[in-house]
Amino acid sequence: MVLNAGCASPVRGHDADMIAHFRFFVFCIAAAVLCAAFGARAELPDTQRFPASGERLLLWAASEYGRDPSELAAARQLAAHGVEVWSLDLLDAYFLPPLPASMEQVPQADLVQWLQAALASGKRVTLYAVGRAAGPLLGAVARLPAGARADLCVLLMHPNLYASAEALADPVYLDLGTLDGLRVRVLQPRRAAGTLWLAGLTEQLAVSGAAVTVTVLENLREGFWAREEPTEYEIAESGRLAERLMQEMETQTCP
Amino acid sequence: MSIKRSRVLGLVLGLALSIGAGAATFETRPAAPAPTLQARDLAGQPRTLDDYRGKAVLLNFWASWCPPCLHEMPSMERLRLKMAGRPLAIVAISSAEPAADVTAYLSRMPLGFDILLDSDGSNTHRWKVFAMPTSFLIDASGQLRQVITGAIDWDTGEGLEAVEALLAGPR
Repeated sequence: MVLNAGCASPVRGHDADMIAHFRFFVFCIAAAVLCAAFGARAELPDTQRFPASGERLLLWAASEYGRDPSELAAARQLAAHGVEVWSLDLLDAYFLPPLPASMEQVPQADLVQWLQAALASGKRVTLYAVGRAAGPLLGAVARLPAGARADLCVLLMHPNLYASAEALADPVYLDLGTLDGLRVRVLQPRRAAGTLWLAGLTEQLAVSGAAVTVTVLENLREGFWAREEPTEYEIAESGRLAERLMQEMETQTCP
Repeated sequence: MSIKRSRVLGLVLGLALSIGAGAATFETRPAAPAPTLQARDLAGQPRTLDDYRGKAVLLNFWASWCPPCLHEMPSMERLRLKMAGRPLAIVAISSAEPAADVTAYLSRMPLGFDILLDSDGSNTHRWKVFAMPTSFLIDASGQLRQVITGAIDWDTGEGLEAVEALLAGPR
């Protein structure tokens, strides 16, 4: 059997079968890639929602170390007090390895869509990002129209915005884009190496156009809610995380 | 940072990626004068690197709230004992924490090397330390030779080799 595959060269039957199988295989791969791409655009897969009837919506982006059960417990407490929570584990959502550098691979267009969906809810939206998650989230905020940024307020828990930080050299910060009109409050545990470098971080945010305020959390370490050997105070503060976030939202007078 | 077990792998990998390789990194630097050190000891006396003139110095930035820092302290004490009689000074400078926190730790873990206080964090700033612990190896002429980021065992393996190389002088 000879097939003419649409070109001048005749192709033998066995080869034609192989070509057909190969084409089907390529089609399947292409379809899978397209589905994955469109699926990711349509919805962030790992968003856990804690519905509430109140007027506030908290967008909670976990750190590069993932979402701790105590954070989910705090989200439930917030919902019980009327604050709806959309909890997002960025690295888990995009199947990225649990590394700080993975945050740079999170597609910001998806995060922009996530923010726009939150703003479209009609609720008063607060963005809460932990550690390295602050970078991609602020990058997404920078891509919003200026008017939309003014409708947001942002809480950053010990944000890591370094592009590089090597001993004996000045730190280099991520390029965040324009954050004009954005209100940002940094929550910084005192017992952390980053506390001494807080001025540089807030300056960087201010240079990007954000209005920055700081709350230093005394006697606490970074990730105090997820420590393997927490102090008694850290255990207590972990239980108060929801209350603290509500307090920060109120004192920041989020719109 | 010590986080629950489910996060330990990610944390170790994260630290590895953020600082280059492995849980701690050894970075040899071109010889250059060490930054100024202006600290106080536990008795309140001012101390500088000149106090260790003629000796190689292992300068360790640490904090009592930092579990990896506390993890490597006993190995620094064993290194001190191992290096007895040799021209090495081990100096651990506590970064921006109350003296009471330091003395509380030392009451549980007696250490024979010098402990200094950087109460206002000015030395941590001057040496541009962004992670705890960070250690600097300085030769007897005051030239900075190596930076080690992360906790290591100082009395064995790569840590001991780095100290021996420092004592052997430039190659």
